[in-house]
Amino acid sequence: MSTDAQLALEDVVVGYDQADVLTGVSMRAARGEITCLLGANGAGKTTLIRAVLGLTPARRGRLLFEGRDITRLPTHEIVRLGIACIPEGRRVFPRMTVEENLRAGAYVERNSAAIARRLTEVMDVFPQLRSRVRQLAGTMSGGEQAMLSIGRGLMGAPRLLIVDEPSLGLSPLYVKENFAVIRRINETGVSVLLVEQNVRQTLAIAHRGYVLAQGRIAAAGDAATLQQAPQVRDAYFGQAH
Amino acid sequence: MDPGLLGQYLLNGLVLGVIYAMVAVGFTLFFGVLDVIKFSHGDVVMAGAFVGLAAYAGLEHLGLHSPLLALALIVTAATAAMALFGAAAARYLVLPLRGAPPLNTLLATLMLGLALREAVRLFYPNGSNPKPFPRLLPVEAIDIGNFTLRYDSAIIVLGGLAAIFALHIFITRSRLGLAIRAVAQDAETARVMGIDFRAVVLATFALGSALAALAGVANGLYYSEVNFSMGLLLGVIGFSCAVVGGLGSVLGAILGGFLFAALQTAGAVWFAVPAYKDVFAFAAVILVMAWKPTGLISETPAERV
Ligand SMILES: Nc1ncnc2c1ncn2[C@@H]1O[C@H](COP(=O)(O)OP(=O)(O)O)[C@@H](O)[C@H]1O
Ligand SMILES: [Mg+2]
Repeated sequence: MSTDAQLALEDVVVGYDQADVLTGVSMRAARGEITCLLGANGAGKTTLIRAVLGLTPARRGRLLFEGRDITRLPTHEIVRLGIACIPEGRRVFPRMTVEENLRAGAYVERNSAAIARRLTEVMDVFPQLRSRVRQLAGTMSGGEQAMLSIGRGLMGAPRLLIVDEPSLGLSPLYVKENFAVIRRINETGVSVLLVEQNVRQTLAIAHRGYVLAQGRIAAAGDAATLQQAPQVRDAYFGQAH
Repeated sequence: MDPGLLGQYLLNGLVLGVIYAMVAVGFTLFFGVLDVIKFSHGDVVMAGAFVGLAAYAGLEHLGLHSPLLALALIVTAATAAMALFGAAAARYLVLPLRGAPPLNTLLATLMLGLALREAVRLFYPNGSNPKPFPRLLPVEAIDIGNFTLRYDSAIIVLGGLAAIFALHIFITRSRLGLAIRAVAQDAETARVMGIDFRAVVLATFALGSALAALAGVANGLYYSEVNFSMGLLLGVIGFSCAVVGGLGSVLGAILGGFLFAALQTAGAVWFAVPAYKDVFAFAAVILVMAWKPTGLISETPAERV
């Protein structure tokens, strides 16, 4: 791969309690690209993200962000290096207002002018949020919470944005909108690591990707190659999705 | 009832309410960030009062007799010492027990409270006897009919309300306050926002313990006396107030504090035997809890998917 890696995993092993979920995963997310990670339910996609963020530290192997070893760093320090995450299931702070959620996303930033600027930018991306800045996030619909969660991720002005199953539980209209927004974010120069089960729409916007199966990388390549790869079909074989 | 006497009860109830609220807020903050009940909290109230007393003794020793200076020193010493103690308790006792069954934390903090209590009894000079607390607030009063407005009571109420209001503004408006609320609502997501979880927990325990120390000093100033076991009842009352208000809710804890004080005061009005007021108040609290099990202000609303 000629592109330079923003995020690199080298033979990473991650697990909970006794069992290893990822048994030696190597992959890279290139600067400026959308890299997708496909895989069936339970394949370990979220676990991989947890390792990157230091929520479930890797047992073996190395993780590098922009060349820096982040394997043993605490989560808040990893995030400070320029990574933001839109977690699975949105995870907005339910008893905070929309604006407070967005401000939490910019927690690392201390310059209030920069925060104000980003607030305006996020409201431009999601005009629906503007009229609801005082609403408690917990009282919003799933689709609205999804927007808020993405907006909150953008508030951190990340160089790498990790998105975990943005289309989970959303109506087709919102799913379409979400993918369009992710592509637009990437076009502003933010690298994206996109975890999805929605193969067709994901490969339509991703530059390259990986398929995770049985705790390992089962296939890798650019989006066009993956579209033909039998492993992609196999990875979802038997899935109701 | 005679309006003057009613006013007297009201003022007394307000003093108690503000003290209880300051204790209850700690319980609710700790529960918010870590889902633990810290049962040494009542003894932190007591220890705060004794630190204040020791600071006062030191000042007397130096031959300084300004009440204003003494008050400032007592408040500063008590809150600073208990803030440090609270952060240390979180760092070395409560955080290491995360992951263990909640019962362990409960027991460990119960023991910590006991250790604190016994340490004061054994090591504070003549610590097993009640100690007079200096009267540093103006002792004058104005009579309005047969209602006597004691300046010291009024100052305690206003000072306590100011402290509680300041805390509320801090929690709802400041950057650290945002972090505390984020950790309370979803600790893992808070970390993903770049929030240093451990630092927030330590800060929260420091904050709650400082407020408890303030409650201890207020209690000492009001009754002009402190003793090593005063934290027992104050701890149970503060805990009840936090539960009745809705554990995790700062406003609920404040509400609970004033509610409990109101119940006690009503009990004192209705029953000739003063001791009945606590029985009445606790019984009423049990009824409120049966009626609203998650407290008056519930922090677990139905979340829409
Ligand atoms: N907190 C956890 N503790 C124990 N096992 C877990 C935990 N989270 C996930 N797992 C297990 O790890 C495996 C991978 O889960 P996950 O990473 O969530 O998969 P995916 O995101 O690909 O659906 C599953 O078998 C799941 O049961
Ligand atoms: Mg997942």
